[in-house]
Amino acid sequence: MTTKLILAAALAGSTALAGSMASVAPAKAQASCPIKVGVLHSLSGTMAISETTLKDTMLMLIDQQNENGGVLGCQLEAVVVDPASDWPLFAEKARELLTVHDVDVIFGNWTSVSRKSVLPVIEELNGLLFYPVQYEGEESSKNVFYTGAAPNQQAIPATDYFLDELGVEKFALLGTDYVYPRTTNKILEQYLKDKGIAEADIFINYTPFGHSDWSKIVADVVALGADGKKVGVISTINGDANIGFYKELAAAGVSADDIPVVAFSVGEEELSGLDTSDLVGHLAAWNYFQSADAEPNEEFVAAWKDRMGDERVTNDPMEAHYIGFNMWVNAAEAAGSTDVDAVRGAMYGQEFPNLTGGTAVMLPNHHLAKPVLIGEIQEDGQFDIISQTEEVDGDAWTDFLPESAVLKSDWKELGCGMYNTDTETCVQIKSNY
Amino acid sequence: MIERSPLAGLAPAAALLLAALFWAASALAQADNAAPEAAPTPIEALLLDNTELIQKSSRRTIAPAIEALAQSGLPNAPRVLEMWRDKELFARKSDGRFFQAERDGGNYNLSHIITGEPMGAVGRRDAKQIKPNSGIRAMINAALVAFQLSDPDPNVRLESLAAIERDPEAAHLTALRDALGRETDPFVKGNLERAERRLTVLFDEDEAARVAAIESLASDLSVETRATLNPLLSTTLRVRARSDAVEGNIARTLTPGEDGLSFSDAYALLVRDELAPEAIDASARDAALVAAISDGSVAGIPVSTLNTRAARDAAYSRLAEEGTVPATMTEAEQIALLDGFVFEEIYAEAPAITNAVTATIDAINSRVALYETADLALDGISLASIYFLAAIGLAITFGVMGVINMAHGEFIMMGAYTGYVVQLFIPDKTLSILVALPLAFAITFLAGVALERLVIRWLYHRPLETLLATFGVSIALQQLAKNIFGTQARPLTSPEWLDGALVLNDAVSISYIRIAIFVLAVIFFLTLLFILNRTRLGLEVRAVTQNPRMAASMGINPDKINMLTFGLGSGIAGIAGVAIGLFAKVTSDLGASYIVQSFMTVVVGGVGNIFGTLAGATLIGFLQKGIEALNPSNTLAAQTYMIIFIIIFIQFRPKGIFALKGRAAEA
Repeated sequence: MTTKLILAAALAGSTALAGSMASVAPAKAQASCPIKVGVLHSLSGTMAISETTLKDTMLMLIDQQNENGGVLGCQLEAVVVDPASDWPLFAEKARELLTVHDVDVIFGNWTSVSRKSVLPVIEELNGLLFYPVQYEGEESSKNVFYTGAAPNQQAIPATDYFLDELGVEKFALLGTDYVYPRTTNKILEQYLKDKGIAEADIFINYTPFGHSDWSKIVADVVALGADGKKVGVISTINGDANIGFYKELAAAGVSADDIPVVAFSVGEEELSGLDTSDLVGHLAAWNYFQSADAEPNEEFVAAWKDRMGDERVTNDPMEAHYIGFNMWVNAAEAAGSTDVDAVRGAMYGQEFPNLTGGTAVMLPNHHLAKPVLIGEIQEDGQFDIISQTEEVDGDAWTDFLPESAVLKSDWKELGCGMYNTDTETCVQIKSNY
Repeated sequence: MIERSPLAGLAPAAALLLAALFWAASALAQADNAAPEAAPTPIEALLLDNTELIQKSSRRTIAPAIEALAQSGLPNAPRVLEMWRDKELFARKSDGRFFQAERDGGNYNLSHIITGEPMGAVGRRDAKQIKPNSGIRAMINAALVAFQLSDPDPNVRLESLAAIERDPEAAHLTALRDALGRETDPFVKGNLERAERRLTVLFDEDEAARVAAIESLASDLSVETRATLNPLLSTTLRVRARSDAVEGNIARTLTPGEDGLSFSDAYALLVRDELAPEAIDASARDAALVAAISDGSVAGIPVSTLNTRAARDAAYSRLAEEGTVPATMTEAEQIALLDGFVFEEIYAEAPAITNAVTATIDAINSRVALYETADLALDGISLASIYFLAAIGLAITFGVMGVINMAHGEFIMMGAYTGYVVQLFIPDKTLSILVALPLAFAITFLAGVALERLVIRWLYHRPLETLLATFGVSIALQQLAKNIFGTQARPLTSPEWLDGALVLNDAVSISYIRIAIFVLAVIFFLTLLFILNRTRLGLEVRAVTQNPRMAASMGINPDKINMLTFGLGSGIAGIAGVAIGLFAKVTSDLGASYIVQSFMTVVVGGVGNIFGTLAGATLIGFLQKGIEALNPSNTLAAQTYMIIFIIIFIQFRPKGIFALKGRAAEA
């Protein structure tokens, strides 16, 4: 039964790609058919490998939805554009989606800088964007739903895990030099100080993209242990640079038992096809791992492998799109329309089972409540989940930086994404900060 | 929102939690669950008693469960602890009983934890694998020490020693000393002795023995030793009235206002020890005054006169006399009061110990500093050899032939991908590298020849056009690699004998792969020197680059020589690619990240000279490591400073370190 469905979905997928969906769709009064869904992911350039996966995920979800009768009696039509890992081009392509193709919703972006580039466009044209990647927070746009993790849904719980479970007393915060690691480390540094870790016990280092000469930094980290405190590494190192880092750690004879490393940017996709023997036992924190033992996850993974091939893996941003897309479908059904404002109103409080066995809830600050998982890297490139929390509410403005602790986002009651709770005023509506 | 405490209990997700509550309830009423299966053996009963803690699996609460097992005296306790550590235990959710389990489709086939007898099957969601995190595993290992130190397998004994070093306890000391008497394996014995000395330092009751052990560590530079000694010097800050007798082991006396102890901090210490009243700051004082205003005056003083600090202080102290506000002190009084106290940092340990530790640590630290400099030099050499390897091909094409080849980095990349592809076909790592090296040379040699024939040949003596054309080729090659291999990094795994590092001591170590790269760089250097200076080809290359027309009239075919030279330079880049891929990663932009450094190396060293490239690589490698050492928190900044230095350097020596002289310079 399921295999039949999936086969049909795959078939529908090829027709959707050919753009012949319109003829199949039965018309219905509330929305003009077919309903267009914009997919704004880079299909070329440096981000292509990560973002292409998300494009494929969206096409799979849309096909499955069409199999189940579409939305509001209409079939969905995917409009795929390629912003080519070029940040300004993201803004142009978003404008094209909203004005030329008249899409009702956009699923897209990966890097923070591309999201920042798109924000003014969707706010001006009142579009709707679902952003699926973990990010540094400190933002809340009326027109964006952030289905990835905010810092308090990934970085803070992982740090707590280091403090409580592994007894780490001295921290090395290593990151690639760009906005996400810098903001995250700023938050973590303050958080650690609040937890009573002395400034001298926090070592921070930034390296360029694709850094490969790690010997000195690894030696510095190992030397941190000289005063008898347990050392842990919190890594916001991005992409390829991780490989050299873990290789150098292994070469220096440092095991995960001596100096554990928790990474925020290393997932199944990054590990696939890599030699993971050097990484075994090190940690990653996400809201989803492919190895999560829950029924919806089994179906999702099976459908994905069936469509894309057995060697393909699933990862956290894919789950974010899965939740985001399904919530959007339910919100549109609830609102009886795909109008942006109507859907947004219906989004608040939307609940949908996440793939790890709990329930994701959309909060008035446009973030999700999701559980935080910590996994140990295994030989096969999968993660062994060793800790799973209750659902944690995503926090747009971190509580650990004084300037944003007073801010909160509530689009439902207050209609403001940057509300100062001290002065009880809305600082600004647009997110051009 | 963090108040909801995301890690509260590290419990499973909501659904699991419900199930957990359910079995917790049923576990209390175990009698109900007396299933037809065999009653729990004592060790199983013990596990069952602790099932809640074990399933919760948090380091903060697990200690009693581990202790209960370790001290149960049951013969199978060590085995069960090992199974627990190795994630081999499964708990049945209905009653919390533990089993070994094997996955069979949608079910777990349960078997007895000790005997391995089949115990029926449960649905896969009705049993839970126990996955202790590494914090708990360390605790289990520490508990296992007592059993493992007498294990017949020396590797197990070494592992248990490692567990002791991670998590030393006083109880381990006697176990270690017992084991020391039994140990026959010299290597294990050496490690045992070191561990025994460290634990003596920490836990022995005899002070003289501790001092002796501390002094014996003076020659040991390891991080573990320093980690053992440094905490012994921890101090606490104490306040003592000047008149009180001196007691305790004083590390140093602090003067308020100096030594990093501010007056307000010092006063806060007095308040902490209840030696002085709470300090009232200016705003709190003013608030108290405002609250006390009645009939336009405060405590009889007209408000209009309260416009100076002294007046307000006076009004406040009058209020305090009346008892309406808590007493406080003016700043001057506070400082005067501080004078009556001494602020001291007190060692937790006795003087004999701290003196011995201070002397030992000083000796160790000065040696460590020396070795760290040596390590930095090694890092510098290593980086220099990597840059040299990346640049030496360029030294020929750019340095000798004068062709600006922006696609040089992509030849490095092609070499690295060749290594990756070879490993797909030849699983034996050593063999695959041996095959990959010549193959990478051959492939990039051909690619270089093709580039020379198709593009560069038409553009000799037009450097700008060459630059643009080869830059275009480089972008095209990168995109090609992305299309073929994807943008994710591909693994190029080094053979096992290149894993690990040559460790001199804990301060100086260098990974074997870097040594191999160094050796490769030296071989290249010598080979190239030989080819250029001692062979016919080298002679012809030099002749063609110095004066192509003259060379042609001597019967040399400049076209062919140019082609071969360019191929040689490119081929070397390919071999360098294999080496660089081994130590870093294989991606499509691997070459691009080395091209700037490569040009820099050649230009700084001096164009047209292999020795120049060597000097350039050495300068840049050492410079970068030196700046990194001065500024450890930002590697990117270190690179920026280095480039600024190079720009300045080029201003003063535009032709590089080894400037060509005479006729060759004009070629």
